[in-house]
Amino acid sequence: MYLEVRDLKKSYGENGSYVQVLKGINTEVEKGQMCVIQGTSGSGKSTLLNCIGGLDTAESGSIVVDGTEIVGMKQDMLSEYRRDQLGFIFQFYNLVPNLTVKENIQVCEYLTEHPLDINDLMQTLGLTEHQNKFPSQLSGGQQQRCAIARALIKNPKLLLCDEPTGALDSKTSRDILILLEEINAKYGTTMLIVTHNNSIKNMVHKVLIIKDGLIHKSYENEVRVPARELEDL
Amino acid sequence: MQKVLRKRILRDLKENLFRYLALSALIIFVMYLVVSIVGAADTIIIGSKKQARKNQLEDGQFGVFVPLTDTETEKLEKKGVKLEKQFYLDFGMEDHSTLRVYQNREEIDLIALEEGKLAQAEDEIVLEKRYCEEKDLHVGDSITLADATYKIVGIGSTPDYDAPLKQTSDTNADSSIFGTAFVTADTYDMLRKSGKSEKTEEYVYAYRLTGNLTNAQLKEELKKLEFTAEDVKDTYFREYWDQTMGKKDDLENGINDLVDGANELRDGLSELRDYSDDLNDGADEIFDAYLDEANKALKAYGIQEVTADNFETVLNNYVNQSNNPGARMVARGARMQLQELKSYVDGTKEYTDGVGEAADGSEELADGVRELKDHTDDIIDDIFDVDVSNMTYFLVAGDNPRVLGAAGDQEINKIGGLIAGVILMVLFTYVISVFVVHGIEQESSVIGALYALGVTAGDLMLHYITLPVVVSAVSSVIGGLIGFSKWGIGLQMQDCFGYFSLQVPAFEYTPYLIVYTFVMPALTAAIVNCLVIRKKLSRPVLSMLRKEQKASRIRDLNLGNMGFIARFRIRQMLREMRSAFAVIFGMFVSMLIVMMGLDIYVMCQNVNIENKADTKFSYMYTYKYPTEEVPEGGEEAFGKTLKKERLGYNLDVTLLGIHDDNPYFDAKVEDGKNKIIISTAVAQKYNVSEGDVFVLNDEETDTKYAFDIVGIAQYSSSLYIFMDIDSMRELFNESSDYYNIVFSDKALSIPSGRLYATTTKEDVEEASGIFIKMMRPMIYMLLVCSVIIFCVVMYLMMKVMIDRSSFNISLIKIFGYRTKEIGKLYLRGNFYLVAAGALLCIPLAKVCMDAIYPMLVANVGSSMNLTFGWELYAGIYVAVILLYLFINQLLVGRLKKMVPAEVLKNRE
Repeated sequence: MYLEVRDLKKSYGENGSYVQVLKGINTEVEKGQMCVIQGTSGSGKSTLLNCIGGLDTAESGSIVVDGTEIVGMKQDMLSEYRRDQLGFIFQFYNLVPNLTVKENIQVCEYLTEHPLDINDLMQTLGLTEHQNKFPSQLSGGQQQRCAIARALIKNPKLLLCDEPTGALDSKTSRDILILLEEINAKYGTTMLIVTHNNSIKNMVHKVLIIKDGLIHKSYENEVRVPARELEDL
Repeated sequence: MQKVLRKRILRDLKENLFRYLALSALIIFVMYLVVSIVGAADTIIIGSKKQARKNQLEDGQFGVFVPLTDTETEKLEKKGVKLEKQFYLDFGMEDHSTLRVYQNREEIDLIALEEGKLAQAEDEIVLEKRYCEEKDLHVGDSITLADATYKIVGIGSTPDYDAPLKQTSDTNADSSIFGTAFVTADTYDMLRKSGKSEKTEEYVYAYRLTGNLTNAQLKEELKKLEFTAEDVKDTYFREYWDQTMGKKDDLENGINDLVDGANELRDGLSELRDYSDDLNDGADEIFDAYLDEANKALKAYGIQEVTADNFETVLNNYVNQSNNPGARMVARGARMQLQELKSYVDGTKEYTDGVGEAADGSEELADGVRELKDHTDDIIDDIFDVDVSNMTYFLVAGDNPRVLGAAGDQEINKIGGLIAGVILMVLFTYVISVFVVHGIEQESSVIGALYALGVTAGDLMLHYITLPVVVSAVSSVIGGLIGFSKWGIGLQMQDCFGYFSLQVPAFEYTPYLIVYTFVMPALTAAIVNCLVIRKKLSRPVLSMLRKEQKASRIRDLNLGNMGFIARFRIRQMLREMRSAFAVIFGMFVSMLIVMMGLDIYVMCQNVNIENKADTKFSYMYTYKYPTEEVPEGGEEAFGKTLKKERLGYNLDVTLLGIHDDNPYFDAKVEDGKNKIIISTAVAQKYNVSEGDVFVLNDEETDTKYAFDIVGIAQYSSSLYIFMDIDSMRELFNESSDYYNIVFSDKALSIPSGRLYATTTKEDVEEASGIFIKMMRPMIYMLLVCSVIIFCVVMYLMMKVMIDRSSFNISLIKIFGYRTKEIGKLYLRGNFYLVAAGALLCIPLAKVCMDAIYPMLVANVGSSMNLTFGWELYAGIYVAVILLYLFINQLLVGRLKKMVPAEVLKNRE
């Protein structure tokens, strides 16, 4: 098992403002799987993703990624973990505004000794013709593709996507999902995708539905719907 | 990765070019100023010391009444000292300036020629450079001296007149009225013989210690050298000697005569007493012989034999009772003779008794006179307790204000420049850090994303400090290079060369200043920015991704029911506290510089005004050899120069003995050897007041005098303290009519040979004005500097405030706010900040500068009235507001340029 989460708990605030967001999450994801984490606002899906990504710290429980326990890791070790294992895609791209597309990707190319071929990657993501443009000269979809390329360039084993299509229109969202599907197929990247979108769950291998800080439902799709055939995006 | 991020740095620079240019200009300007001031100081300090070494600067000098004999010179030189005669003559020139003429030097205080050659012929002369500059004299020109014409063959300077002061007690040098000149030995002799010098020749020797002898030991050796008054050629000296030390001889001779007389008297009477017995015996023998003869005659008439004791009774009986007329006659005759002889014998006895008593008395007299002599000798020693050695003064180079005066002056500039540099470096580094923090906050989510992807804080730290460090480094290098050039150091030195008499030295590039210039700004920027950025980058990744604002008690201040506009402005100010602090900090630094300029100005101005007002005399004659009687129309005074240390400088303080009705000073002196009234100059310089004890040092005698300050009198020209002249005479063992200064409201006819110096009211007024003339460029430079710093810092920081609010400004534009209304919300708050900040910074800067300034002028022995009227404070305040309004106008233009699209661009 590539990812194992056991009895993961996380809370915020104190006294009156105390909220337990994760109340004991247990789940696992196999290597190369695409997994959607779904839930309503405040259900804890982003918190779970952040804990797995080492951006947030769990109170108790265990997260084992590729055999390594990350709960209790120090910040510098977490930084190394993110550098070696993870790619992140955010809802709002977070590109460096005054670097070109190619340069934004290159920022992460230097984080690994064996990066993917940047030209291949840009080709795959349809960014070759935009490589010298600045983020402000790109559409939302192009910016998100650039963010994906930036996340993938270091060939991460685990790609964490927080609402990757949240800020995009339907067509662009589909394009992005197709891209993620292709990457999964091409590089075998394990993916965790946090989304509100109900349709996306049909294209992935595994679905986790979180409710009130607990895994409400967990299942694997026997038949996956290709991204290009998804409806109501 | 840094390779990629570096591309971003250039783009950042391009995008904020104006901001960085302004900042860079500020750093260049600041570093230029600091380097030029400190570099000039180093150049002058090191250069003048090198020149001094090269030109064999004296270790000290001393004056004598009569030139040393060859034997004395040899004796001293054997002890480890090299001596050179530096006798001089002062000549009044046609333009009323004084030219002090020396003969060419050979071993000590050599002439450093800037052009031309040394005087070699009888009609050749070399002049001191500052005098030539003031008089527009050049090599090849001629001057008239003592009715003879001399050709100027060289222009130069000597290390013993680095500060060309006419008297070492002068507070400032004025080369328009005093200069030095050097001629051949023959020409010097000729000038001396001409008798046209203002006063008699001064016998001064310069010395350099060559062995183990110390200055103090040399001084002691010199004190031992005595002289014969008759050898002194100066007639005024001779006259003075007769009046003073000559009277000692009279007194001594008189008392010695008295002792001799008493002794003679004692001896004579003693001898006389020795003969008294013989005299008495002789008288008794005469009486006895006659008594024998009388008894023989009486016996013939049957008269019984008589004795000395009974002859009167017996003979009376016969004279009265005898019937024999012959016997009666003989008895009568014998009685008469014996009575007369008896009287003689008694008389002799009385005489010899008197002689004995007189002899005893004369012995007592002789003893008394001897005692009188002993007491008189003590009194003479007390009264005439003056140095009777040949030495008139002894001055080591370290205490000579003429020597290395420029270096001493520049030490203060150097320290001031370095401290100012550090303050300004902190200021501009802080300004840069505000930019960086603003940038990090703007890019917080991007940084969070990069963190999430595994980019480390170290990578980002390096990235974010690169631009500030590079801008600081490049700007400081540019500023430093200009500062080190002739437009920096060269220009800064001009003021110094316009006052001191120095050769133009080669620029000095001291290692510490090179490091200070080329490393410190970048290092300071790196350290300060590291500290600031580290804090910003150490926020949790999620917090950065979400652009969370850190909770702050101040920012979340409860503003109660305050109106919307006021509340908005306060919130905006609280949000922009960092920038607001930079504005206030920048304003404070600018105000400090303004206050420095104004302190210089008001001090010079007050010196100018007060010196003129306080100088009530028209003439002040300082005597070398005072006459017995004070010249008619003159007011006598007794001046004595003592020393008092302040902030590392040992300054001359003149103790002036005056009468309480002296019309020239507002000092009502009281009787008492420890009571003084200090001048305002002393009160300001030494920060002392009535009731304090003021201790002065007499270095000649190594004596300390502690005085009680009983009052303060308005007098600003020099460091004077006043006391009752009679008390002062008593304190310093001078005669009851001693004086050495005469003040007058008109010119008195006093031969110049009697005087050390004549100071006129015009001299004082002219000298007072020289400070303003000298300091004017510095004052302008400081004011311009402060305006530039103020404007640049305020513009940059207020721009940052607006940039940080660009999203909000665009948003309220969408709501329908007009530019004017937006200005009210975002800029008016700044107005209140600046208005209130100026109210705080102006007086605070004044207080701080008034505390610092005395250290910057610690070597100046004059008053330091730094007060100025409210009009000037108001003027500064108005200037601050006007500058703010000017900058505000520039920023209003920026507000207009902000479009609602900003909201859409940053909709997340």
